[in-house]
Amino acid sequence: MTKTRKLREEPTSLMGRLLRGAYWYGAEWYWTVTGGILLVLIIAITIFAPVISPYDPITTVGGPFERPGGGQVVLLAPKDSGITAVQKGLKVAVFYNTTAAIVAEKYGLTPRPYQVDKDLFAKVRAGEAQAVLIAARDAAQALADHQDFVQVGKPFGPHFLLGTDNLGRDILSRLIWGARAVLAVAILSALFSAAVGVPLGLLSGFFGGWFDRVLSLIMDSVYSFPGLILAIAVAAVLGTGVVNIAIAISVVYIPTYFRMTRSQVLSIKEELYVEAARALGAKQREILGMYIFPNVISTLVVVFSLNVADAILTEAGLAFLGLGLQPPTPDWGFDLNKGKAYLPRGYWWPITFPGMMITLVALGFSLLGEGLGEILNPRLTEE
Amino acid sequence: MRSLGRYLLIRTLLTIPMIFVLVTLVFLILRVMPGDPVKSSIRPGAPQEYIDEIRHTLGLDKPLYVQYGDYLWDLLHFDLGTTLSPVRGQSVAKQIWEHFPATLELALAGMFVTAVVGVGMGAYAAHHRRSVADYSLRLYAIIIYAIPVFWLGLMFQLIFGVWLRWFPIAGRISSLAMAPKHITGLYTLDSLLTGNWAAFKDSMMHLALPALTLGLYLSGVFVRLTRSNMLQILKMDFVTAARARGIPERTVVYRHALKNALIPIITMMGLQFALLLAGAVLTESTFSWPGLGRFLVERITYRDFPSIQGAVVVFALLVASVSLLVDVLYAWIDPRIRY
Repeated sequence: MTKTRKLREEPTSLMGRLLRGAYWYGAEWYWTVTGGILLVLIIAITIFAPVISPYDPITTVGGPFERPGGGQVVLLAPKDSGITAVQKGLKVAVFYNTTAAIVAEKYGLTPRPYQVDKDLFAKVRAGEAQAVLIAARDAAQALADHQDFVQVGKPFGPHFLLGTDNLGRDILSRLIWGARAVLAVAILSALFSAAVGVPLGLLSGFFGGWFDRVLSLIMDSVYSFPGLILAIAVAAVLGTGVVNIAIAISVVYIPTYFRMTRSQVLSIKEELYVEAARALGAKQREILGMYIFPNVISTLVVVFSLNVADAILTEAGLAFLGLGLQPPTPDWGFDLNKGKAYLPRGYWWPITFPGMMITLVALGFSLLGEGLGEILNPRLTEE
Repeated sequence: MRSLGRYLLIRTLLTIPMIFVLVTLVFLILRVMPGDPVKSSIRPGAPQEYIDEIRHTLGLDKPLYVQYGDYLWDLLHFDLGTTLSPVRGQSVAKQIWEHFPATLELALAGMFVTAVVGVGMGAYAAHHRRSVADYSLRLYAIIIYAIPVFWLGLMFQLIFGVWLRWFPIAGRISSLAMAPKHITGLYTLDSLLTGNWAAFKDSMMHLALPALTLGLYLSGVFVRLTRSNMLQILKMDFVTAARARGIPERTVVYRHALKNALIPIITMMGLQFALLLAGAVLTESTFSWPGLGRFLVERITYRDFPSIQGAVVVFALLVASVSLLVDVLYAWIDPRIRY
């Protein structure tokens, strides 16, 4: 007689499954956790945007295309001037429209903006200003050209961690605020699609018949169509604005929810407990709402997560094509659209960072969805 | 009777309602949804009579059901109307036809890259199942899907175009004077056919980055498909038999198994055609590739709604016909598939 092996109990609750995940599910577990961490970070960024954003995302705070890490300004004064520190009320000559012009005011200096081609140092020598305030990147050259000047103190002023864009706006701040727009549009559109697709799928799968056939035909046709192109057409008609863009994207993904829900309903409908409920005299509405719908939810969570990832990419695509949110709302896709024009001149930072953000957010939702899919439906994994 | 002819007939008939639904959807979106296409295409302050005249020529002053009937009737005759702006009165169908070869060339080249990269990687992952390489390749599939295709293109432009200066970053060919004689409209193929080597080299250089971008974007999906298909095939008896006969593992996996996994993979290539087209629209805009996608986006900025409608309808027809083609091809290869 063979001894029956005691089987390890499979945790049944969602939380239990998640906690035992690392043991049971291997690499997929790490995907889920990585996705989750990415999303928590993004959501934190969204919530704390006003606190962590160094500058306002839509105002010019620096010169155009300050390099990443750049943006400091330096004070150059004549050797014999006796100026040893940045003082309030100091009359300075600054390059017009550079970082310097903007920070001068912030530090209580009295700025006299001059055009770049004017000789700032001559102005100081003529007594029109006491010192020269210029971007740090130009300091070495300027000091070499004007030996009678020295640098006062260390570089000061703003510091653009990821540089500035063509309008001198801080890219880091735009990335932080951009998360809000992208997430708002993507989640809203996924909710819209689910709100339409899931009920239709439930009814269609449950009642069947002509209603089901016609609806399935329509949904399958839309599903087969390239999503972005459909979204482009709708967005072109509806125009911009968070809700309009969300609607344009949601049209594309309604069939995703419909098909998923419908196929789930078709299989759950045949389960024994549904038959039992029916035998006990449960109403159609009760069977659908209390016995079938709750069993669709776990798959719905996975589809929702993957769908938000898709919606983010579609939103970014629309924005890249100029059909997304309109300025001044910071939007990553739109920033890529603007940055593209300056790429041939080698300005790499305006296009690198927004794209990275889109990838990270989409990746977060994808990893979470993929991982959850494996954990909630272990049967799907190929053994 | 189960015959290929019958399957072909039924499958073709089934495509008609699908096309009908899509075409109706386009009508609903562009004509029924709020927004006046004529007003938005004309500069503000134009006299009302002028607007009315255009509305009349477009048939927009008729009741909706008449418009819908006219629209379907015109489509049956492949009449996509005439443009509104930037130039009024040009044939939309002709313009779409002119832009089509560029998109076709890009799509074919992208498909080629995807097939090589995706199928290769997928087969390798299935071969080394549960190894570090397998997990890395699966992760690659997820990551590459999360990267916006246009950003991938921009990064390639930056690295290979601007920094390394290996490839041009825009257009199909350096100068239109260089373009080969029009045979198929595919510059690479036409230049090969006419033996124009300079044009061939130039158009290949222009095609390289867009094709790589589009191909890598789709490759993630194919890594997955190939991997799961290969895993199924590798469990089959004929594979075990081949192994038992002492055939080297490498040969078993990449000759015997992969060959059998290819048929379902080819069908799925058809299903991914929609994704390919969506990717092509973005890739075309990134690389200023003068194809259908760029045509569509450009016309949207002009609010030229006959062109928008025409382009979207053509995309719908493309998707429907490719899915039909693939199904028929599959049925032809596999005699078990019949109605």
